[in-house]
Amino acid sequence: MRNRLKVLRAEHDWSQADLADALGVSRQTVNSIETGKYDPSLPLALRIGRLFNQAVEEIFFLDEPASPKHG
Amino acid sequence: MSTTTKSERFMDLRGFLGFFGWGVLYVVARLILEVETLGWWTRAAVAIVPVPAFAWVLWNVSRGIARMDELQRRMQLEALAFAFPLTLLMLMTLGLLELAVGLNPNDWSYRHVWPFVFLFYVAGLVRAKRQYE
Repeated sequence: MRNRLKVLRAEHDWSQADLADALGVSRQTVNSIETGKYDPSLPLALRIGRLFNQAVEEIFFLDEPASPKHG
Repeated sequence: MSTTTKSERFMDLRGFLGFFGWGVLYVVARLILEVETLGWWTRAAVAIVPVPAFAWVLWNVSRGIARMDELQRRMQLEALAFAFPLTLLMLMTLGLLELAVGLNPNDWSYRHVWPFVFLFYVAGLVRAKRQYE
């Protein structure tokens, strides 16, 4: 699974530690998610989505080609 | 915001002190038990002296795990999943070797085997950490 977490974090000018604090997880967890080595649980993914005010599927997506977006 | 989150701390100072205290008590108990003139009840009492200290360690480890986030708990689980079969393998092999060739209890008794269990856990933890770094 891939994600846009690093991009979103950069847009907010947050460090990994800042994001980790905001999510209540360790910096290593943030790093592992960003590098795609760890897929977060659904509750954590939802918290990430809520933090960035985006739907989960706008942040996380499967490696396989998704159907094209419309609208 | 701080650079270290609470969930990154596996064991607090009390936990480390408890772990250190248990280690000291274990070594002291070992040394005392080398004295062969002690009575049976005294020896038995000395042998279980480190137990309350280890209970303290376990309680602190439980608190530490409760503070962990989901990835850290997963790494702990993977470390145990690595260490447990290795422990079984070691005990099984030692059991068979004991039957096959007879092991010297001065070299391969309980007190020699248990540090390997701890080493297997540490190896499993290092392996899990590297996997997610």
